[in-house]
Amino acid sequence: MWFAIDFNSHVPVYKQIKENLKALIAAGKIKEGEFVPSIRRLAQDLEVNLNTVARAYRELVEEGVLKVVRGMGYVVVGVNEEGMTRENLAKLRELLLKLKQLNVERRVIEKICEEVFEDGAAESEKP
Amino acid sequence: MELLRVKNLKKSYGELVAVDGISFTVEQGEVFALLGPNGAGKTSTIKCILGLRKKDSGEIVLNSSVAYLPEKKELYRSYTVERMIKTAKSYGKNFDEKKAYSLVEEFKLNPSEKVANLSHGMATLLYLAITLAEDVTLYVMDEPTWGLDPLMRNKVLSIMRKLSLDGKAVLYTSHILSEVEKVADRVAIMRKGKIVEMGPLDDIKEKYILVSVPKGESVEGGYFYKETTEEEIYLVEKATNIEGQPASFDAIFEALVKGERK
Repeated sequence: MWFAIDFNSHVPVYKQIKENLKALIAAGKIKEGEFVPSIRRLAQDLEVNLNTVARAYRELVEEGVLKVVRGMGYVVVGVNEEGMTRENLAKLRELLLKLKQLNVERRVIEKICEEVFEDGAAESEKP
Repeated sequence: MELLRVKNLKKSYGELVAVDGISFTVEQGEVFALLGPNGAGKTSTIKCILGLRKKDSGEIVLNSSVAYLPEKKELYRSYTVERMIKTAKSYGKNFDEKKAYSLVEEFKLNPSEKVANLSHGMATLLYLAITLAEDVTLYVMDEPTWGLDPLMRNKVLSIMRKLSLDGKAVLYTSHILSEVEKVADRVAIMRKGKIVEMGPLDDIKEKYILVSVPKGESVEGGYFYKETTEEEIYLVEKATNIEGQPASFDAIFEALVKGERK
């Protein structure tokens, strides 16, 4: 498995690994019940330290994205929807605050909500 | 497993305090980088560890076989690459000649070339091949990528990474931060003989933010980073009540090394 790690980014490497894995799972590229590469293998592929991958996996286990199968490795449980929901609601709140500061009227935002929640419109309404 | 423990190491040259009471450990399976500007005490630290300089005080426990790449990559100028390797073999304890030749090939050096005709970068590569052919657990390297072109540098970094995955350890110094970020697991930032920050790179990146204030104001406990036309930028430890910008490792290093703390 390989994805690009930006070593010069201010985002810690273990976080980049977590985000990349979550994105792969969310996109269905790694499916529920499938094994992710072993810590050693992924460390080799990405050329990072074992501890860095171990830390990413440990946190993904804590978040319920992966689980440990003893003697076998790490298996995908699925992207924790509750956690993703919480995360994205927090992002939405931040965005709404920014819009408020820009004096965007409430009804404009409500209109977007209505459009998004209308049947079938959800996919085409990406910002 | 702990391969090296340095505790409260001190070393002076006459009036000059080169190493001023530093402590750190190097564990098996990690790449540990000693960073700092010239004269911060990195090379003195390494020389004390290897017994090439006599420490003034402190404790050094070395629990491992060691191969050393010195800062000055001096080899026998009149020898060919091949003869240099044979000589290294006769000095070495666990010298793997085959490995030396395969590295020489990987580094695209000509075995029959005279050492005197090698560029700085090529001489570094030859010295690296000799150092890496020594089968030890801890590789101590002083500026291992000095003078290398980007392709060779990446190759060397990749070799260092593989060493750590194979249960070896690397203690190295560098002043090129972008490569340090690529390969080091833990770093110690030195300034004037002291370690001013140490830990996993990821932790250090998460620890600090940059805060800008109008000129004339300062941030309590912050390290001065730089100034703009109307502001001063400080590096501070993250806290819930402070808003700031994410700090790159570059910025963290620069501010800590300047050491102008308010």
